[in-house]
Parts: sequence; structure tokens; C-alpha cells
Amino acid sequence: MKKHILVLFLIFHLSFFISPAHAATPTPQDKTQELRDQLITNIASRVAQLKLVEKRGIIGIVTDVTNTQITLDSQNNTRFVDVDELTKFSSPNSKGTYGISDIEKNTTVGILGLYNKESRRILARFVSVMTTLLIIHGGVAAIDSENFSINITTEEGKQMTVDIENLTRTYSYTQKAGYLRSGFSKIKENYNIIVTGVLDTKDDQRMIATRVIFFPEIPASPKVNSMLENVGKSSK
Amino acid sequence: MKTEKLILSFIATLFGLLVAGIAFYAFQSTKTVAPSSTKTISIVSPSPTPNPTIFLTVDRPKDEEVVNNKILVISGKTSSNAVVIVIADSFEDVITPALNGDFATTVNIDDGQNALEIISIAPNGESIRIKKTVTYSQEEF
Repeated sequence: MKKHILVLFLIFHLSFFISPAHAATPTPQDKTQELRDQLITNIASRVAQLKLVEKRGIIGIVTDVTNTQITLDSQNNTRFVDVDELTKFSSPNSKGTYGISDIEKNTTVGILGLYNKESRRILARFVSVMTTLLIIHGGVAAIDSENFSINITTEEGKQMTVDIENLTRTYSYTQKAGYLRSGFSKIKENYNIIVTGVLDTKDDQRMIATRVIFFPEIPASPKVNSMLENVGKSSK
Repeated sequence: MKTEKLILSFIATLFGLLVAGIAFYAFQSTKTVAPSSTKTISIVSPSPTPNPTIFLTVDRPKDEEVVNNKILVISGKTSSNAVVIVIADSFEDVITPALNGDFATTVNIDDGQNALEIISIAPNGESIRIKKTVTYSQEEF
């Protein structure tokens, strides 16, 4: 009896040494399976990454800048842009190398990079300093024929003096005639008007127009009209 | 003895409450308030905000979109009697929408970021503006 028990004990113990010896040497089939699993995992993670991340381009004004992050104000939304060693910087005014340390607050920049839908952050690949034209839309409040300038009141209640220069292209639009080249003398008070241009560096209520589009058939919006009436009453 | 005391105290409390209630009622009914010390509150119903006569939706392009073709299609829907102006740094276009309000145009965009503004103006002067940023790039990253 004792002999039998001893044999069973030995078999039981030896089995521990025998079985790992078999598992330690994988067969070619196991290797293929392992490789397949690894490949599936890699593809799945890449697909998830591609779905989560997409290319995006934004324009914004720099509100804060650090070595690794730029904070922007883009259409009244705060946007966080991450910067790494692969991010390229450029500026039209820079002759030499341009980097994140050269970016200052209140600079308008264009960002092209990878937007992460989960974190809502952009990993910038290209950061470029740019200048965008100012576009204003409103009603003609007053015309200064001597100085070739017009006063425009916008729907937001903003007053802007627009200087018409020789380079300014002026157009008019009517239902009948369509979109035509026009001139400063054709602009009348209370016309609906759109102006693009650049802001005067010395006066933030003055701009130099590059393009003017006015609509003789469309009056200034009711909001603008009520503002103009209020301005007229207060001046009296 | 104890129960008698309890019942008596209970009746006394009830009687006290009753007397206090009658006294309070009598005081309130005989009280006269001077007209100068009264305040009249009138609830003014808020004036309804005028319904805008114009609407604008822009289907294409998507905001912050990156494209690899310089020819960009801009399309959307607005009031049929409105005038739509598409304006950016390097181009502008004035469109008259179709009878159902659909509008579409193609423009040539610049390299890099393009700040587009789509403005729809109604015949009475009311307007709606939508801003979009579209980036032209062929960079792979």
C-alpha cells in the first residue's frame, strides 16, 4: 500500500515539471496565433485612434502662451493648442528661425493640427502668424464726401469710420443689375453695406477699406435704424 | 391623580391656544393699514421678441474643415427673398437663392487658413452672419 502511495506521489510531483516543459516550446501554430492577435490589437487601436482624432484648422487670437501650450480665443471660444517637437512655426515677418518663444499675446495665428474629440485639444503641426481682414456689416450713417469716408453703424451698435482709398474696390448689388463695379459717389445714407479692410493702428473706430459692397435696394436693418434714431435724438 | 393632572394640563393648553387664536383674529380684522404704506405690484408681461424674418444654415463647408482641393463648394439654405454674400480675404460672391431658399457657389480658397463669412440679408435689412474657417493643406501628418 505504502509503495503505491509513494508512486502516486512521485507521479503527481513529476507532472509539474513535465507540463511546463511542453508549454515552453511553442509550436509554429501558436506563434502564428500570437502574431495574429497582436496584429488585430494594433489595427483595433489604430482605428480607434483615427476615429478619435481628425485634422482641423482654426484661427484665433493668442491669449496665453507657454513652452508646450497656446491658449487661443477663437470666435469667443477658448481653445487649447498643444505644441511638441514636431510643430513647425512660421511668420511672414520673420526672416530667421521662428519658434514658440517668438509668439506674443494678442497675435492672430492659424493652427493646423490633430483635434482630439475626447480631450477637445489640438495637437498643432503647423502654427503660422497671420493677419485677417476685418469684415463689418451695417448701415451707412453718414457720408463725408470731402475726406472720402463713411460712417457705418453695425447691428451690434458699433460705430466705424471707413476711409475709402484709391485701392478700395467698390461694388453695388441690385436685383435687376446684379453685382456691379461702382464708386464712392453712389453710396447714400441708410444703404445696407458690407466693408472689408484693416483697422487703423491708432484709432480702433477707424478702418481703411479694401472692398465695399453696398445694396441700394436694401435699407439698413431695423436694429441699426433704431440706433441711428437714438444717436440723432441724443445729438439734438 | 397623575392622569387627572395630565388631562387638566391638556385642557388648559387647548384653552390657551383657543384664546390666543381668537385674539389674533380679532386683531387682524380690526387692523387698518394706511394707504401710503401699501405697495402695488403690477406684473408686466414681457414683450415678445420679434420673430426674425430671416434664417440661414450652411451645410458645406464644415467649420474648421481641412481640404486638399482649392475649389471649395459653399452651400446652404436661407429665406428665398434674401441675398447671400460669401466673403473672405481674397474673394467675395453675391448669390440669389433658389425659390426654395437653397444656395450654392464655388470659390477658390487660399493656402492655409481661410476665414469665410456668409451673410444673408433680408429685403427689410435684417441679416444673419455665419463664420467658418476652412484650411487648404496637402500636408500629411
